Amino acid sequence: MSAESLILFFIVGAFLVGFAIVFSIFVAPTSTNPQKAEPYECGIPTEGLTWLQFNVGYYLFAIIFLIFDVEAVFIFPWAVVMKEMGMIAFVEIVIFFFVLGLGLLYAWKKGALKWE
Amino acid sequence: MTTIISLTILGVLTLFLGIMKKQSWLLPVILLGLVVSMVLTLRDWNTFSSYYNGMIIVDNVSVAFSMALIFSAFLIFSLAAHYYRGVLRPLDDIYGVMIFALLGAVMMTSYGNLIMLFLGIETLSIALYVLAGSHKEAVTSNEATLKYFLLGSFLSGFLLFGIALIYGSSGSFDLGRISAFVTSCAGIYPPMFLAGLFLLIIGLAFKIAVVPFHFWAPDVYEGTPTLLTAFMATVVKTAAIIAMYRFFTHTFHGIHGVWDTTIWVMAALTILLGNLTGLYQPNLKRMLAYSSISHSGYMLLAVVAFSAMSDNALLLYTLSYSIATILAFAILILIREAHGNDYFSSLNGLAKTNPSIAFCLTIAMLSLAGIPPLAGFMAKYYLFTTALEQGLLWLVIVAIAGSAISVAYYFKPIMAMYLKESNGIKLMVETPYKVSIFFMALLVVLIGILPFLVIGLL
Repeated sequence: MSAESLILFFIVGAFLVGFAIVFSIFVAPTSTNPQKAEPYECGIPTEGLTWLQFNVGYYLFAIIFLIFDVEAVFIFPWAVVMKEMGMIAFVEIVIFFFVLGLGLLYAWKKGALKWE
Repeated sequence: MTTIISLTILGVLTLFLGIMKKQSWLLPVILLGLVVSMVLTLRDWNTFSSYYNGMIIVDNVSVAFSMALIFSAFLIFSLAAHYYRGVLRPLDDIYGVMIFALLGAVMMTSYGNLIMLFLGIETLSIALYVLAGSHKEAVTSNEATLKYFLLGSFLSGFLLFGIALIYGSSGSFDLGRISAFVTSCAGIYPPMFLAGLFLLIIGLAFKIAVVPFHFWAPDVYEGTPTLLTAFMATVVKTAAIIAMYRFFTHTFHGIHGVWDTTIWVMAALTILLGNLTGLYQPNLKRMLAYSSISHSGYMLLAVVAFSAMSDNALLLYTLSYSIATILAFAILILIREAHGNDYFSSLNGLAKTNPSIAFCLTIAMLSLAGIPPLAGFMAKYYLFTTALEQGLLWLVIVAIAGSAISVAYYFKPIMAMYLKESNGIKLMVETPYKVSIFFMALLVVLIGILPFLVIGLL
């Protein structure tokens, strides 16, 4: 790839994105009414400021959930190649589960699962 | 590879000792575990093996630098009992995260694939963001962790984009394949590759704290708990510089050209600006931060002057710098405890109240300044000769000028200790802490007198 094609790429990219935005302003049908400006079209508007502190417990739960989220991501490719790999793949995933289990055990014992 | 596995097990073990309420076991187990993992690392000497399709390549350079990193961590952990003696909360998480940071550092010394480099840097950095803020009650610590996290995560993006562009132009993450690509280019590189290289250098330079990207360092170093500052200034810096060194030695094999001019300029700027700004610092901790910035400039000399000798020179340099810096930080911890601050006036008359501690700090300062016969002098001597052999005359002149400037600020604490009147506060030191201070001072002298202990290794 040479410098010219890289520059061309940037120009074409900027043009296409700009074109899409400008084009949609002209083409899309627009209708405005006061309801549209509200955060929810149905339901009641929020009371007071939304910039308030959240309980740190939510973050802890989200992080612990991440363990299982990532686990699922790794299991899918593992399941695809499991048949060809055979026993080694099985042992590897057991080690992987074991390490993840240790993480969960640590979080549990540290009291991260208790809601206060 | 055994190093990485043993350190992982040690980190997990540390965390589980914490939840089993065995606080008093923590440090003995960690120190023993670090010794065990040093022994396991030494068993890889002369094996030259690669693991997981070239993801990790263990050669003598990586073994030697892993040893240096684990040894530095060992020295820092030997100070931890004293530093945290008044802390009531469980410490297993701080120690565990420190070991995981060390694990990331070891991955950075032995990567054979850019993905592994990124993984190592992130393991190291994420652990460090936590460690920088580990003193939760102190506002300075919160400030340090926020600054470090915001800048660090932003610069990680640069690094990752650099890796992506290098992948885009060379078609592989593997260092061997990239090296083949570099050879096939024969001096004319595609712009995309150059852009990737540039971004990669920026990302790594941030971690090393090289001059255009050094602004975070003094503030973060000052706010971070002192023991962990010592960790940042030694282990992290060594890991980042060896990661950069490894990238350029494995892919370019001494082909000079586009990249080394950039690093040349960065090294010269780092040495000059780091040392000149160091002159104006009011306290010891900020001075040590600027000293660590200027030392990263000297270490970049080895990256530019890649040759058969530069492995050895860089190893000697990082080792002598790490030991002297940890020694200086160990004494800084004592001074901050006794006086509540670390202005140079707090050092007044230390030679009368604590002559042995003052002498050890003098050794550390003289070694960092590069005064013979200490380790710092030998390290600078070998590094500068290596650079001269590669024809980097002007860079060496800049480096020597920088060393001359640095003598001025390294002598500030020494003059305060020996020439000023004492303010009557005696430092309280326990015997084990004293032993580790003396051991480090002895090592600095020993490496200075017998540099061939290190220099003949690689």
